Amino acid sequence: MDHTKHLWRVVLILVLAGAGAIIGRHFLIPKSFGEQGFYRYDSLGDYMTQPVRHGGDAACAACHKDRADAKAGGKHATVSCESCHAPMASHATTEAKTADMPKNRDMTLCLWCHQKLRARPETMPQIEISEHLAALDPEDAKKADVCFNCHDVHNPSMK
Amino acid sequence: MPYMKGEPMNDNKEMKSDAALEVSRRDFLGTIAGALSAVALVIVADDAVYIASGAEPGAPLPAGGYDPDKHSYVYVIDITKCIGCGSCVRACKAENNVPDLFFRTWIERYMVSRSGEVSVDSPKGGYDGFDPSITGDEITKAFFVPKMCNHCSHSPCVQLCPVGASYRSPDGVVLVDEKRCIGCGYCVQACPYGSRFLNPETKVASKCTWCYHRITKGMRPACVEMCPRGVRKFGDAKALHDEVSEIIATKQVHVLKPELLTEPNLHYLGLSMEVR
Repeated sequence: MDHTKHLWRVVLILVLAGAGAIIGRHFLIPKSFGEQGFYRYDSLGDYMTQPVRHGGDAACAACHKDRADAKAGGKHATVSCESCHAPMASHATTEAKTADMPKNRDMTLCLWCHQKLRARPETMPQIEISEHLAALDPEDAKKADVCFNCHDVHNPSMK
Repeated sequence: MPYMKGEPMNDNKEMKSDAALEVSRRDFLGTIAGALSAVALVIVADDAVYIASGAEPGAPLPAGGYDPDKHSYVYVIDITKCIGCGSCVRACKAENNVPDLFFRTWIERYMVSRSGEVSVDSPKGGYDGFDPSITGDEITKAFFVPKMCNHCSHSPCVQLCPVGASYRSPDGVVLVDEKRCIGCGYCVQACPYGSRFLNPETKVASKCTWCYHRITKGMRPACVEMCPRGVRKFGDAKALHDEVSEIIATKQVHVLKPELLTEPNLHYLGLSMEVR
């Protein structure tokens, strides 16, 4: 068998290629790739560990029960606390207050929902600001709290 | 090792004449092959142990016992109720750290005149509300359309991702593996709904995740949570007595661009034909 060494060469190359492929695959393909499909399954875990920023009304009511109750009884019952204030996480952690509650006292806050717009459903209470504040001095109309002087924001009937 | 058993290396005169080399070529290659095989064997054994240890697919996810196979999420947007306040857009930005001038959800305002002329605007995605002044012909109908990823069952963005970074999770959410994405932008072009963008901070594709970090904890997506009019509804088709599945089953719902056969899981109530 004069040609045996040629066969061994082929075997050697195949062993090298196979071992190289296994090693390369091990380091190039992430561990959970392909478990459920052509993607890295652990990526789901990456998303799941992202921090939650909006705590929801129940989290707010834990400390601010008076405001939550006022809101629940009025026309702003479906308006989430954090849609006017800010995400809870910037104001409080599980137990402690970390910063002051953000408050937007400008009329822009109210007008996001109540500015009269043609595309807005007619069932939505809307105002044309120039008509609504016609009795006010134009300079006064620009001040903060201009809405809150007449309306309780948490239960927005007339004060 | 089998390749060491061959004939002695008496035929390799060149090798012997090289005084600098103390190891023969055959021995050298044999050692390399042996070492590589050993490493490969260790890896194979390691993987086998990992599989045999009962690490079922999906086992290593964090958070208390969430099983993606037991959920199938659906979403409904009721256009007839939307007031275009932008709460959802602001909530999404804050919840997910979306960079300025990029949007995972946004609101479009459609204004249609009697002649059929359609004008659409979405200033800053509706983040700061909408301009009350109306231009153009007499408007005969106008409405807001909140837009976002449609989380299609057959999404082009998943099909064409060259590296397997875009995928649809077992619970029906289309996601981007940000560690794997190479930022080629193919999916941004492929999405027929314009729901994706390349994040200028991370340089990879980014999109709505239905707030995957929230829904896997039993919470609702931030946009749904912050919507003051109940326009946005999020449900689970595998849950019993699910309100949203009930709406899809019993009401006249529509999806965007059904002709593309992407099978969106985002459904619209009150959709008008002008909406693209």
